[in-house]
Amino acid sequence: MPLPAKAFQRWLSGVAPDTSTADICRVSGVKRTTLAQQMVRGKVAETTVVSISRAYNINPVAALATFDTYSGLASSSLPPTEKELVSQIATVDLLRAVIVRTAPEGSTGPGQPGLSPTPHATSVKNWVDAIDDGELRHRVSAATGVAPQNYSAQLTANRLAPELAVATSRAAGVGLASGLVATGLVTETEAGWPPGARQAALDRLSDGDLTALAGERLQAMGRTLRRQEQDQEQTERIWENLV
Amino acid sequence: MSEILPWITLVVCAAAALARIPSTMRGVNPALFFIFLLATAAAVLSIEQFYVAIDGALGGLNIAHVLLRLIVFATIYLIAVRVTKGFGAPDAHRMIAGPPGLAVLAIFSVALVAVFLMMAPAASSVRFQDAGAASPRNEALLPFYWAAARGYLAYVSLALLPALLRSVKERLPLLVRTGAALMAAGAAATVAGLCLEFSPAQLLPIAPAVNNGAVVFYTSGLVMVWLARVKAAQRRSHGTSSTER
Repeated sequence: MPLPAKAFQRWLSGVAPDTSTADICRVSGVKRTTLAQQMVRGKVAETTVVSISRAYNINPVAALATFDTYSGLASSSLPPTEKELVSQIATVDLLRAVIVRTAPEGSTGPGQPGLSPTPHATSVKNWVDAIDDGELRHRVSAATGVAPQNYSAQLTANRLAPELAVATSRAAGVGLASGLVATGLVTETEAGWPPGARQAALDRLSDGDLTALAGERLQAMGRTLRRQEQDQEQTERIWENLV
Repeated sequence: MSEILPWITLVVCAAAALARIPSTMRGVNPALFFIFLLATAAAVLSIEQFYVAIDGALGGLNIAHVLLRLIVFATIYLIAVRVTKGFGAPDAHRMIAGPPGLAVLAIFSVALVAVFLMMAPAASSVRFQDAGAASPRNEALLPFYWAAARGYLAYVSLALLPALLRSVKERLPLLVRTGAALMAAGAAATVAGLCLEFSPAQLLPIAPAVNNGAVVFYTSGLVMVWLARVKAAQRRSHGTSSTER
């Protein structure tokens, strides 16, 4: 559930006192119509708070923590686990690491590019899989009242409502902001992940673990692509006959 | 209300036929244009003024009504063939276009014509509504005539329904699924139309709405699938040019 408009207004008057809504929108890049609509509905999206925080050089996680729903974010200072860090590395970056490690010395060319920024195409699902002990989905479902199939559908679509992301972190006992990184609401730096933590975690993976992980990701990717191709084929056949 | 329904049907079908002209000129699925053209013809014959004029030209013996029913048979047959091929339903395809399907079509067509020939000639009346009043024999035969006329439509619709409902649940573009849902509604309305022929008299006033609704549902379903293609083509041209044909 998004943030109540009243609390948002209170927060906003603390962040940008005596500033017109128009100015806030201009500085933060939030569309005026979007904000107006959210205010009228009484529910302000978390992304709005994040955008405004960034515009006023406030840590978005800290800003979210001032709201009741996310108050837990303030006290949570658990660092990301190894598995979480690795889960937030894009599949292409994992594959590149495999190639770099297995290629003969000097054949990969100079200058290894850094990891692409979070989030990646399957970051949400990979993150939940990384922290799942087998019962996580049930616990999240029980804690939030969200039906397991709706939860799974969000993961498949690489989405997760911010509140659910925090609830998932809490149910898994990991840092509460991790889920917000995986969903792309905040960056890893904003969530307090140490700089280079993902790269370091990747470097600590053994060749065997890295290769197995890359293989798993490739297989999942292959399944998704094949499913998309089948759907596309079916759609084409419908059009061939009916259009 | 029942005055305006055939007009709505006519407008929808004619608009669909007109909209298909550019594609047909390019040689894309001319069968579809033909389907909408037949549907338009059927809609024209369902409107009193046109019916009386056309039937008058055919001798004023309601031959136009038999013609209308056969046009409707041809329309639903052609639609069903495209739908079963498109939505990948080989079983339904066999039930409609395979030997059993063609046999059913022949049986219903022959039955329709036979019952019509057994009736005493009645003065031209749209929807054949005054034919029963012409003689007691006509009144007895009329339900059989309608059973034959609607029976084939219900048969085809029942064959299509599982495939259509399955497609609604599949991972297809939203507009395609909407189209399948609308066609499923058309199939359901067609079956309901047959059932209404045997229902108590107090339900008869809703029959025209159900029967015209069936046509509108089928037609708008086809239009939805088509819009999905238009939308996909637009998105493709906005994206990279490498996938353009």
